[in-house]
Amino acid sequence: MPELIKVRPTKIELVKLKRRLSLAQRVQKIVKDRLSILTMEFLQTARDTVEAKSKLLDQASQAYKALSVAAGYHGYIAMEKELVASETELKVTAGLRNIAGVRFPSFELTDARKPMKGYSLVDTSSWLDRAAELSEEYLTAIVELAELQRSFELLAMEINRTKRITNALEYVIIPRLHATISYLNMKFEERDREEKARLKRVKVLVARE
Amino acid sequence: MLNPLQDGARQSPYEKMLQECLRGELRVVNAGLPKSQKRLSDVLNEEHPHVVCSDGSTHFFKKSELAYLTSILSTEEQQALPLPMLIELGANQAEAAIMCEGKVEEKVISKTLSMPVACEERRIRIYRPQLALLRKKFKTTTVYVFSPRIIV
Repeated sequence: MPELIKVRPTKIELVKLKRRLSLAQRVQKIVKDRLSILTMEFLQTARDTVEAKSKLLDQASQAYKALSVAAGYHGYIAMEKELVASETELKVTAGLRNIAGVRFPSFELTDARKPMKGYSLVDTSSWLDRAAELSEEYLTAIVELAELQRSFELLAMEINRTKRITNALEYVIIPRLHATISYLNMKFEERDREEKARLKRVKVLVARE
Repeated sequence: MLNPLQDGARQSPYEKMLQECLRGELRVVNAGLPKSQKRLSDVLNEEHPHVVCSDGSTHFFKKSELAYLTSILSTEEQQALPLPMLIELGANQAEAAIMCEGKVEEKVISKTLSMPVACEERRIRIYRPQLALLRKKFKTTTVYVFSPRIIV
């Protein structure tokens, strides 16, 4: 049997408890809905993460292959000379997005196409262009995966937290409130019966006199 | 068994905390709603497209999603589409509804889901599997609304 809440056996307390019960039931409904949404998002993010990870690995191997071919064609020193000039800082726009009250990071590579094209197009071949193109795609995939993995972690944490709240509501709070309300109701009924019995007894005594 | 009536009448700190926690949950679920929606055409002109949420935080839109929306809509439709699109979760757990102002949302949803949808009482009703598809495509341009019908 669930533990009872410590309250005075008064009608006001009973009204308060009933209010608390209705609040708890409303919250339970919302939290359950939220949990189902978060779970749906979690599964979707998990699928996306797996997809993004395999895409990333594919792109990494393709980019390295293309880079090896370009290095073979130009020679390491010549290629390095060209690539040193093309070095620029990457710009990643970081923001937040909100899903059912949880804030998730949102990353986007800004001007992903520009930074890699700093080298001389006259002195280089299409092999280097191809390697640069694949590297750009690889960078975009890294940023995408970073966002997905962080979202995945945050969603898992939020689902755990929400599950704890749902369980607490379902197995502790609501049963306790129900038990206390029925306890108070029984107490009031008992009082009524005692009162009736007392009145009957008084009536009998008055009638005897 | 513990007799609750013998102990003090005051609410324990644990109970108080619990009540606050429950009230907090109610506040949190819709905290991410935008203060006001922006038109797609306006959002496209921003360097960092975003809306301000009711809790003061910002909700960013992905440029890739905006580009997709631009590709499927005409200029007039871009001026009519409010962002983020609101997905209302009602009492029925199997369904969700997209709140719409006009035909433009209908077009976006039907193109995304590759099926005809109808707007009834300013709502487009879809099932959960379709919702997952929609959310996959529009991660930042849609947000969930927990219906006041459930909250109140």
